[in-house]
Amino acid sequence: MSAAPSTAQLLPGAGAFAITVGAAVAFGAVPLLGSDYLMDAVLTPFLALALAAVGLNLLTGYAGQVSLGSAAFLAVGAYATYNLHLRLPQLPLLVDLVLAGLIAAAIGIVFGLPSLRLRGFYLAVSTLAAQFFVQWALTKFGWFSNDNPSGVIDAPVLSVAGFTFTSPAERYVFSLSVVVVATVLTQRLLRAQSGRNFIAVRDHELAAKVIGVPLLRTKLLAFGASSFLIGIAGALWAFAYLRTVEPAGFNLDRSFQILFIIIIGGLASLRGAFLGAAFIVVFPLLLSRAGAALLGGVFDSGVLEMSQRIVVGVLIIAFLIAEPRGLIALWDRLWRAVARPAAIRNT
Amino acid sequence: MTVMVTNAEVLALEAAPAQGKTRATATADVPERRPAQAADRAAQPVLALSQIALTFGGVAALRDVDLAVAPGEIRAVIGPNGAGKSSLLNVISGLYRPDRGEVWLGERAFAQVPTARLAAHGVARTFQNLAIFKGLSVFDNVLMGLAHRVRSGFLRQIIGSPLARRIDAENRAAAEDVIGFLHLGEVRERAAGTLPYGLQKRVELARALVARPTLLLLDEPFAGVTLSEKLELSEHVRNARDSYGATIVLIEHDIGVVMGLSDRIAVLDNGSKIADGTPDEVRADQAVIDAYLGVAHQDITELAV
Ligand SMILES: Nc1ncnc2c1ncn2[C@@H]1O[C@H](COP(=O)(O)OP(=O)(O)OP(=O)(O)O)[C@@H](O)[C@H]1O
Ligand SMILES: [Mg+2]
Repeated sequence: MSAAPSTAQLLPGAGAFAITVGAAVAFGAVPLLGSDYLMDAVLTPFLALALAAVGLNLLTGYAGQVSLGSAAFLAVGAYATYNLHLRLPQLPLLVDLVLAGLIAAAIGIVFGLPSLRLRGFYLAVSTLAAQFFVQWALTKFGWFSNDNPSGVIDAPVLSVAGFTFTSPAERYVFSLSVVVVATVLTQRLLRAQSGRNFIAVRDHELAAKVIGVPLLRTKLLAFGASSFLIGIAGALWAFAYLRTVEPAGFNLDRSFQILFIIIIGGLASLRGAFLGAAFIVVFPLLLSRAGAALLGGVFDSGVLEMSQRIVVGVLIIAFLIAEPRGLIALWDRLWRAVARPAAIRNT
Repeated sequence: MTVMVTNAEVLALEAAPAQGKTRATATADVPERRPAQAADRAAQPVLALSQIALTFGGVAALRDVDLAVAPGEIRAVIGPNGAGKSSLLNVISGLYRPDRGEVWLGERAFAQVPTARLAAHGVARTFQNLAIFKGLSVFDNVLMGLAHRVRSGFLRQIIGSPLARRIDAENRAAAEDVIGFLHLGEVRERAAGTLPYGLQKRVELARALVARPTLLLLDEPFAGVTLSEKLELSEHVRNARDSYGATIVLIEHDIGVVMGLSDRIAVLDNGSKIADGTPDEVRADQAVIDAYLGVAHQDITELAV
């Protein structure tokens, strides 16, 4: 929680400058200069996972409500967008996306109701119900996948106001725009009274109740907003990244993956969600390169997957013990070490 | 003891819907409220308990306790460990539902005070065990004391509507004020959980004060702090009454502090009220001296010195 001194504090005026440069790189240089592989296999899945992690972090990191059902809401977002597009073709895609988020939010609120009575481990187990129920419903009822015999559906092309996003660079820019807008709105929510209420409920529910924090409304807002964000992330995952939709892609493993992202990145930190997502996406790629270089043919995909699990598991234990505030705390410390001497030199 | 509300209890509390209803018609039934002359109305208690009884399993935590707290008073409740002091505050704040009896907040009587509406009724409290929000800054902790005043929905908060911005500005000004009042300015941006214990207690007091409550309930606000902090905090409590006009119910073990600070003292022992009066009356009360035995004798002599 303790924010490091930002660039803006160290060098006045630098904040706006950093944002401008960041935007120019992310929206300009990367799509122009980056390879298709970078955008297709690294950046687009990173963005979708980061948004899902922002959503889960709102619920778990800020409001303290543990959830193991994230993948269910990814699935709801993906399938809702698909069906809205299919059945109400007159609606623009962006409207589909927002509606899909709202549908995910509604389902999230329903599965959030037990949080009024349960907490911690018991709540986590009850959110598993969302995970299994949604996956079951999507497999069981062919209607959701338009009675496609394989259950795997091809996602339609993304198009907004007549402009289609088909190439890797275009799909990346689409994802980036959605993620930036969603994150900025989330940030504004968290900095307002609602965000303080989340943390109050997390840190001392009884005291929060006594000072008049509406517990019911606060918890359901956390579940709703979180599921909304994760739902939209699911639509990005399916439409911008995979371009197919199938229930198996949204299994419990995916829920855990998003939970690991926020633990490794840092609970109750939006920047941590991005850092954690970057780690989870980039790390296996680095590991497979390193493994292939060191071990050659022995390092097949089975070994890769196994070693990946082992390393991630060890890292999570290490983080929980040594730095419960995650990568973002390390990052801030590093940044302070680098930036502070620089700021002193400048004065 | 105070914050030890188990899940089952919370469930029970939430399952029982708010009992509060105005009983203007029933007012005449209650002796304390019968006189209708203007002079008496001015002295109407801010808080009155009538015949409060509370048991846990076989343990009687409170036995037919009556208590009246006049406006502007610092009213201490003392008693040995397990006497029922915290239980009394929990009844007043609606965390416990008494088996019998009523809680009067000004004009309104409750079988169980609706906790969620406590702040709206002008009541604030602190807890025996620290109950600050560790992850929030000191300033944000204090702002939380005004959470019940934020009427703007989350969408308005996101877009920053004029209503949301106005409420926010008002609340920040009020929080700024209390931060200055309790000398928390130097730590205002620190995460509250990282502060020393005495400061955390002060943050909790600030959070309770910021809404300018008409009734402030303090459960052992000086427990576990150093002597100098104790003196400073007790000065703050007095100022809270003098500058903020709060009526205060104060639970405290340290009889020395209590005698100097309070206008009237109620003494609980084993769930019953055994004495009630000015510090001098209570000090001379034989039942009180007996209840306190050795330890209290020491405190009382200390005080005399
Ligand atoms: N939630 C509870 N469940 C069961 N018993 C309780 C509960 N709360 C209080 N009691 C019992 O009621 C009695 C009074 O407790 P209470 O906490 O009110 O005492 P106290 O005067 O505040 O004591 P202390 O000075 O130690 O804080 C004790 O016997 C206690 O064990
Ligand atoms: Mg107590």
